[in-house]
Amino acid sequence: MFAEESDSWLKSILPFPGEYVVEETYVGDGDVRRGPHKSVRDFDENDSILQLVFTPRIRLGVLRLGAEWERFSFGVPDNAPLPDTLQSVNLVIGLDTQLSDSILIRVEAQPGVYNSGLDDLSDDFNLPFVIGGTYIYSPDLQIVLGVGVDVERKYPVIPVAGVRWKMARQWVLDAVLPTPRLDFEINRDVTLYAGANVKQTNFRVDDNFGDAHGIPRLNHAILSYSEVRTGAGFDWKVSPIVTFTGEVGYQPYRNFDFYRANVRYHQDGGAPYGMLSLHGAF
Amino acid sequence: MKFKMLESSQRPFASASIILLLLLLLARSTSARADAVSELASFSIFNKVDLAQLAKSEVKTAHGSPMSNPRFLAVQSCYVAPGSPAQQIEALRRWDPTRHRELKVFLHSDLPSNPTAASFEKLKNAPDNGPVRLLVAATQKLSPDLQISRDEAKKFSAGSAEKPPGAMPVSVTAFWTDVLTARAKSFVSSGTSGQPPYDHGGKAIRASEELNGLLREQEKIRRQFSGLLGATGIGRGAGSLRPELYWELLDVDDQGVVTLGASYSRSGANETYQAADALYYASGGYYVALTLYQMWPITVEGKASTLVWRGDMISAPSLGSLHGVERLGSESVMMKQISKSVTLFRRDTSGGR
Repeated sequence: MFAEESDSWLKSILPFPGEYVVEETYVGDGDVRRGPHKSVRDFDENDSILQLVFTPRIRLGVLRLGAEWERFSFGVPDNAPLPDTLQSVNLVIGLDTQLSDSILIRVEAQPGVYNSGLDDLSDDFNLPFVIGGTYIYSPDLQIVLGVGVDVERKYPVIPVAGVRWKMARQWVLDAVLPTPRLDFEINRDVTLYAGANVKQTNFRVDDNFGDAHGIPRLNHAILSYSEVRTGAGFDWKVSPIVTFTGEVGYQPYRNFDFYRANVRYHQDGGAPYGMLSLHGAF
Repeated sequence: MKFKMLESSQRPFASASIILLLLLLLARSTSARADAVSELASFSIFNKVDLAQLAKSEVKTAHGSPMSNPRFLAVQSCYVAPGSPAQQIEALRRWDPTRHRELKVFLHSDLPSNPTAASFEKLKNAPDNGPVRLLVAATQKLSPDLQISRDEAKKFSAGSAEKPPGAMPVSVTAFWTDVLTARAKSFVSSGTSGQPPYDHGGKAIRASEELNGLLREQEKIRRQFSGLLGATGIGRGAGSLRPELYWELLDVDDQGVVTLGASYSRSGANETYQAADALYYASGGYYVALTLYQMWPITVEGKASTLVWRGDMISAPSLGSLHGVERLGSESVMMKQISKSVTLFRRDTSGGR
């Protein structure tokens, strides 16, 4: 009853159909290392995400217009040559369209500010985008191909391929980056899954970051931050427009790479993590 | 390939009156073709169709107009088929979808105008497969997903679990035979208005309201077919036209579903035809489905052919939860399945093009 009322309320205040994510992940203490002698140990991480994307239907397909905020907070010591915050505030501008009755295309750009805080936004602008296609072989099997483009990345163009295969009535293999998953649907409202979350975003650190940490070439440098989480969780469909997700697992890979300055801190000790999320479409 | 409504006369000395007659016929035939295309454009999504190109190609499909009710979905298609509209209607009547496994229709049976329990004898021959076993399990525990009325649910008696050869225990076969017989009889006497609601699982859903809702959201189509639909039992009481009744056991999203259908057709001016096929009851998967056909006679390479417009509309609870690209994908799947179904129908009835 409450769920139905909240659904109607949400639909009444929002002008268009859309989707949203509110997500928080806590990663326990982990370590990274640079060469044999330099390391940053026992620091934890919070990853917070807010996303709201409207998806109005137009003649061409489904528009995707919205905004997203993501913030990584690291509990690194003050003298560590790593930023304690990485943050992106971006728009989402995209289109899902149908090329034929078998092919769907997504073009989506995320123009915004990718940096280590909101103090200096002067030239921290970036415009990563994705172009991808889904080939609908059958209702049970779809093949996904695409590219992600980010001019600030070490390799600006990364191809992506994946498959979504409903193997049996309750089993779905959704092997598509960045969140490949194997789903087991217990019932209409609850799904268990095991999977991974592969993240890589490029941020620009502030103008004095290098000076402050004794490596001047890191002033205003590009930092490619990557991490991989592997875990298991559940999706609980609380109402038609609210899904609650809980996930726990282990983070086996993390990399801070100032690749243009040739300074890289890579994983030296993984960490457990837990994630809670509310998401849905209306 | 090119369209030619009439071959011109090869005789050099044909009389003036014959030439005049031919010219008149040619003019009339050409205008009939133009009329078909402009009438198609007037109510459908296909506002610009090149008949020459369409005749060479497979079925053309497109999303129907967006509808405000999230559980509604519509797809339109058009194609050229050999033979006259009357022949197409007859072929539709005779076509047996169970011949094609990919269409996932396990059983199809025509019903007499006065259906009885014996009309559903074939239920005993239901195949022993996953979807049918799920239907049996859902029936035995009277799952809230079953689309039946509260009164119908009360009639289920677990009774004997005796399982004859085939997939369904006697009690399950008896239950569905009763439900289908009563609903088919009710359709004959009162159209979809007389169908009991689906209220066993909670909120009451009525077939008539769903069918009328689908049509209300597509005003041009509703207007185009108002004459035909007004004489049927689709979305109203029993109509003046006699329906061709049938039932099927099919697979919807890996779940066995028993469904009841009624088909109507009638000829119009200039050998055109309209037809309507309503699935007015389903035990699960979807609430109702409606397919409308408009057919015009045309000539392709001197042979009688038919321009067919087909509109498929469905109301399904699962569609209500789809948004954005998922919904787009769902429409694509529906379009693909309609293309497949039309292609198989054309192959069966014309040897393929």
